[in-house]
Amino acid sequence: MSDFRAAYINELYKISKKKKITVTIILSVLAVILTGIVVYAINRFAGIRITGYSEFPTLALSVFSYTLIPLFTAFVCIDMFSSEFVEQTIKITLTGPASRFKVFTAKVLAAATFIAANLLFVMLITLIVSLFINGIPTDLFKIILSYIFEFFPIFVFALMIILICNITKGTVSAFMISILVFLLLNGLGIVFSAYKSFLFTSAFDWYKLFLGSYINFHKIFRVFVILCGYGIMLFGISNYLFDKKEL
Amino acid sequence: MDKAIMIENLSKTYKNNRGIHDINLEVNSGEIFGFLGPNGAGKTTAMKIMTGLMKPDKGDVKINGYSITESYEKAMKNVGCIIESVMLHQYLSGFENMKLRARYFDVSDSRIDECLEITGMLKFKNEKTKNYSLGMRQRLGLSMAILSDPQILILDEPLNGLDVEGMVEIRNLILKLSRETGTTFFISSHLIHDVELTCNKIGILYEGKLLNIDSTDNILKNYSSLENYYLSEVDSNV
Repeated sequence: MSDFRAAYINELYKISKKKKITVTIILSVLAVILTGIVVYAINRFAGIRITGYSEFPTLALSVFSYTLIPLFTAFVCIDMFSSEFVEQTIKITLTGPASRFKVFTAKVLAAATFIAANLLFVMLITLIVSLFINGIPTDLFKIILSYIFEFFPIFVFALMIILICNITKGTVSAFMISILVFLLLNGLGIVFSAYKSFLFTSAFDWYKLFLGSYINFHKIFRVFVILCGYGIMLFGISNYLFDKKEL
Repeated sequence: MDKAIMIENLSKTYKNNRGIHDINLEVNSGEIFGFLGPNGAGKTTAMKIMTGLMKPDKGDVKINGYSITESYEKAMKNVGCIIESVMLHQYLSGFENMKLRARYFDVSDSRIDECLEITGMLKFKNEKTKNYSLGMRQRLGLSMAILSDPQILILDEPLNGLDVEGMVEIRNLILKLSRETGTTFFISSHLIHDVELTCNKIGILYEGKLLNIDSTDNILKNYSSLENYYLSEVDSNV
């Protein structure tokens, strides 16, 4: 267990030392502020009410869950897997005393930690921005719940990128294929809307199931099971490929 | 005598038909084994398999009695290694790179400094490794390898990129560790002179096949130099 702990701390340490984290923080703050200004301007000057002020954090989430959050997640996952194999720095980790399974799991857990921290950070900024717009949000519990549940589809997306990283050989190819797969899955969801619920990308806004006055627990459970299925499958295949990978 | 490393019928063939074929050898505890061969002979392939970076097509490697393919963690618990050139995280300093390995062994910062001092890298410990030369990277790699005070050191071309002074220092370090702590070494090199000066047992690998293994003393009894022995072995087996 101490090997796993060391591997996990190492992964977090490496993520924290990358310049991309600073860029993530700056871009997240700017994007939230910009969205806040646009919402405020439309509400105030155009007379169109696109959201109640208390809903700003969830409105921002609906924008960022398809843009910045998956993008930053992709960067971190590609750095952790593809970049380390391309630069051969993975040798430092793989010749250590931890088994490949432990190293792989530590990396996946570090990616999950990054996603959770990113969502928490975006939620806090949106809450602060919404304070400037119109005071304290009235439904704080639902906002927190939305961000917590958004973690699951983004985590499955991260596992998909990790799988792509373990198939491809370069960082650019991993990034391009990740974007293509993301667009393809979203496109398939639009074209074959009857089967949309089987695609994990359609669950990127599943937190909305909690926001209405009627909560469909059956549907929430079904989506959760589909996400779990994707998660287990992607983790299993990626771990197999990671284990077989030679340097 | 305890067997520190046992290689049994080890084979690995690449798509271009190169690789290693049926390698068998044993290294006893405390020995300094030199794995001698020209570039492309298969030294790095064998060492990658020994450290779990590659899977063999056939055969196995046992380190301290544990199979590298079946009990990786137990096998690698007391092993330090350098495989090919040392690749470091360039956005981290030398010390931070060391810290990544130190966490696995619960090693203190003072031990990191001690290892950096041994390899002459202490004064560069806070510099980002992107500014390091090949020789500095190699020295840091050695510091990382000895950090946990391992019983076995597997070093693939450890003198790569080092100047003459550096080569002598590292050679002396190997001899000192072997003498004082009984560390077992498995060193690959194509530098015959350095192998002759450092190793007490030598195996010659040529075109993926292990031609012969003998002690340095025996070899030098029968040949004027290791170079002559090497050429004679290669000639008689080609």
